[in-house]
Amino acid sequence: MNLKSIAECERRNLEKMKRYRLPFGYKKIGILVIIISIIGIIINKTSIDDNLFAQVGKYGILLGLVLISLSKEKIEDELVISLKMQAYTFAFVISVILTLTNPLFTYIASIIANKPMDIFKGMGDWQILWLLLSIKLFYFEFLKRMSR
Amino acid sequence: MKNSIKIERAIMGITQEELALKIGVSRQTISSIEKNRYIPSTLLALRLSQLFTKPVNAFFELEQEDEVLI
Repeated sequence: MNLKSIAECERRNLEKMKRYRLPFGYKKIGILVIIISIIGIIINKTSIDDNLFAQVGKYGILLGLVLISLSKEKIEDELVISLKMQAYTFAFVISVILTLTNPLFTYIASIIANKPMDIFKGMGDWQILWLLLSIKLFYFEFLKRMSR
Repeated sequence: MKNSIKIERAIMGITQEELALKIGVSRQTISSIEKNRYIPSTLLALRLSQLFTKPVNAFFELEQEDEVLI
């Protein structure tokens, strides 16, 4: 195998990866995973056990959001792909802005609550990913309705 | 860019749903193209051209702000 054919093979694999989407049915699985995770978190609130359910539930919500985000629409055409890309870009930019301005909001909240808070504590990985995926999903639905 | 897809569709006597089915997209995409909210890819434009048996230029037209100054 020469260098040119290796490069061609890699390019084809990258193209396949770029276009890969989960089947439409995974959207329902994603919703189900989110519902189960939320129930787990609620159960955790009422139990005296450690926060195992809450931790698993938090990551379950992320998994559910990823499944919904990666799954195809009923008809996945070029308009839908373009709207998805716009939604990902918007969600990324908004998440970065919110992460950067988080210390400011924490500072304002500490003044209002009259309670000292660590303004540079920042957002955790879960919050950032949750924010990004949620904004993506809601903005995509908004764009879909707008394009009708 | 403006287009006359709606007129071409009326000439053929087909609905948005039927046109969408023929070129393999959703009805929403046809509606967005007709309302000039979405510019289709070259592939889709060529599929429309094949279906209408007309060149792409016959139903897609550049507007003044789209034209490149040479």
